[in-house]
Amino acid sequence: MKAGHIDRVKRRAVRQAVAENLETIRGLPPRGVRPKVRLGRIWLRRVSLLVVPLTLAGSTFLLSKPVVEPMFVVQRAVARKAGASPTQPQLMQYEKVDPAALVLSVHRVVIDAGHGGTDPGAALPGLSEKAVTLDIATRLRSLLEKSGFEVITTRADDHLIPLRERAHIANASASDIFVSIHVNSIVNHTNEHGVETYFLGPTRDASLTKLAAEENRESGYSLADMRKLLDGIYADARRDESQRLAGNIQSQLYGGLRNADPGLQNWGVKRAPFLVLVATEMPAILAEVGCISNEKEVAMLHKSEYRDRIARALFDGIRAYAVEKR
Amino acid sequence: MKGSKKMADSEVLHVGIDLGTSRSAISASNGERFVVDSFVGWPVDMVAKKVLKRNVMIGHEAVSNRTMLDLHRPLERGLLKEGSDKDVEAVRELLRHLLRLVGVETDGGEGKVAMSNVRAVVGVPAAALRTNKQYLRNTMKGIVDSLMIVSEPFAVAYGLDALLHTLIIDIGAGTTDFCVMKGRYPTEDDQRTLTIAGDSIDIHLLKLIQDRYPQANVTIFMVRDWKEKFSFVGTAPDKVVVTAPVAGVPTPLDITSELRASCETLLPPTIETMLDLLSRVEPEFQERVRNNIILSGGGGLIRGLPEALQDALKQVGGGKVTYMHDPVFVGSDGGLALALDAPDTDWEKLSA
Repeated sequence: MKAGHIDRVKRRAVRQAVAENLETIRGLPPRGVRPKVRLGRIWLRRVSLLVVPLTLAGSTFLLSKPVVEPMFVVQRAVARKAGASPTQPQLMQYEKVDPAALVLSVHRVVIDAGHGGTDPGAALPGLSEKAVTLDIATRLRSLLEKSGFEVITTRADDHLIPLRERAHIANASASDIFVSIHVNSIVNHTNEHGVETYFLGPTRDASLTKLAAEENRESGYSLADMRKLLDGIYADARRDESQRLAGNIQSQLYGGLRNADPGLQNWGVKRAPFLVLVATEMPAILAEVGCISNEKEVAMLHKSEYRDRIARALFDGIRAYAVEKR
Repeated sequence: MKGSKKMADSEVLHVGIDLGTSRSAISASNGERFVVDSFVGWPVDMVAKKVLKRNVMIGHEAVSNRTMLDLHRPLERGLLKEGSDKDVEAVRELLRHLLRLVGVETDGGEGKVAMSNVRAVVGVPAAALRTNKQYLRNTMKGIVDSLMIVSEPFAVAYGLDALLHTLIIDIGAGTTDFCVMKGRYPTEDDQRTLTIAGDSIDIHLLKLIQDRYPQANVTIFMVRDWKEKFSFVGTAPDKVVVTAPVAGVPTPLDITSELRASCETLLPPTIETMLDLLSRVEPEFQERVRNNIILSGGGGLIRGLPEALQDALKQVGGGKVTYMHDPVFVGSDGGLALALDAPDTDWEKLSA
């Protein structure tokens, strides 16, 4: 084996040994007996229940019109049959199933405070993204728990938890949704400040690609890991749920904060390939709850009442989504 | 890491520990290496304490003075004996002793490293369960700052840069561990653990000697020494004659056939497990793994064993078995290499 290859293999082995130790510390059972994709299984089970009657009842309908946005199972079926005769692929195409038909409730929420430890995120003297996100996460946790939600946090203190580990914590806890809290820093536009919420998806916006690369820096994923992850993500049905969750949270964030900060801009719901959203198996969003590059916003973020307001807005967004799911 | 304290690299001591049923070895980043017998003893009464002038004895010293000691061997089949406070205390004493040997003291001091600045990798049998590892972790609380527990054969493979297409067979006192290295941290499917190992050979040998020489006064400690000096499988290199008291008179005893028979109890399960693991390797890599079998641990020194395993490999196309000439530190050296390679950010998460 070449030296470079040995080093790569060793690095991977060390990473895996550490991960195994962390699982032991957390008291998790071995991988083989752990529930893997709770939500995924529920989707799969329920989707299959819908596919059969829909196929039987709607065959003429299915053949008659082009599909606007086929569901993930349909896309995969078509992709596999790309080389087949032109009459065959249409058999599996039908209209998108409304996720509202799949009544899923929200009980367990993962709150992910961005950055931490040696990774401060965006930082100014006296104010760092890691501290702001942790503080808001702690407040949000309290609000959610008081309302009867079960809450899992990826970090409860100032420690660096790799993105890979954050996703692992979320997946192992079989939670219903994942909410990652971050603070923006837009160096060339210090006069602007706003809130935005992301769910997983491709983007053509170079600035968003840069932002994702910045947030993905501590991922711990290899290229091979990424390929496997990416193979399955964009076609995943949870994308729709993530978008709904992002919509609810963005709406409450902007609505809840603009009174306190009239200059706040609504930058809307966006798609971007943040790794923490790629590797989680439940509906997942990443909220940029403020802008540390804006002086006015920095003054606000220093205030406990404003952080409390952000936590309440996030809580309202989660609750609104949960109510929709009942 | 506990709190947010940050240690300067120069103050941190990385250690690899092979916590063995029979012997425990430590390799430290300051270049020190030690091995001790995994025995801990406390004086049985005030008289013994007065004679020994010590509160606790460890290793060979403990074995030598065992008649005056409440002697504990805190590890069984490579794992901590659970449910006994005395054994937990014994393993803590053993670990503290190992760390003291490489220059670690509770609060540091002149030329010493504080326990709170030690990062340790400890090897355990391949089949150790998570509960076993958690138990070890709890036992080591307060003794080291950060702790990583890994499968012993993995530590061996890591230290030898043999992480790909290699089969490690680590024959210790309590267990024989097998691990196929596939370029990743081994999963349960890649590993096996047998409890046929050094200790079971000792017990078998003692029984055979007692059967043949019922008048001889032989202890398990004597048997263990003989095995370590003369063990072999196959054709005897020399006649094995030892001396033991018979009716109080030192008498020469020929134990050649008994030694062979007891050592050869290792062969059938080892060969079966080796072939089974090889058969589970992807077909295109089987030949490479067959030619990359590494024998480590004290059992690896049994004369004729590599050849016997190579003979067995002929039925599946042949292979090569290499044994470590200095197997004592191969596990702890591997643990040390792993400890040094793990980044600070990982160590910070592995507080003991």
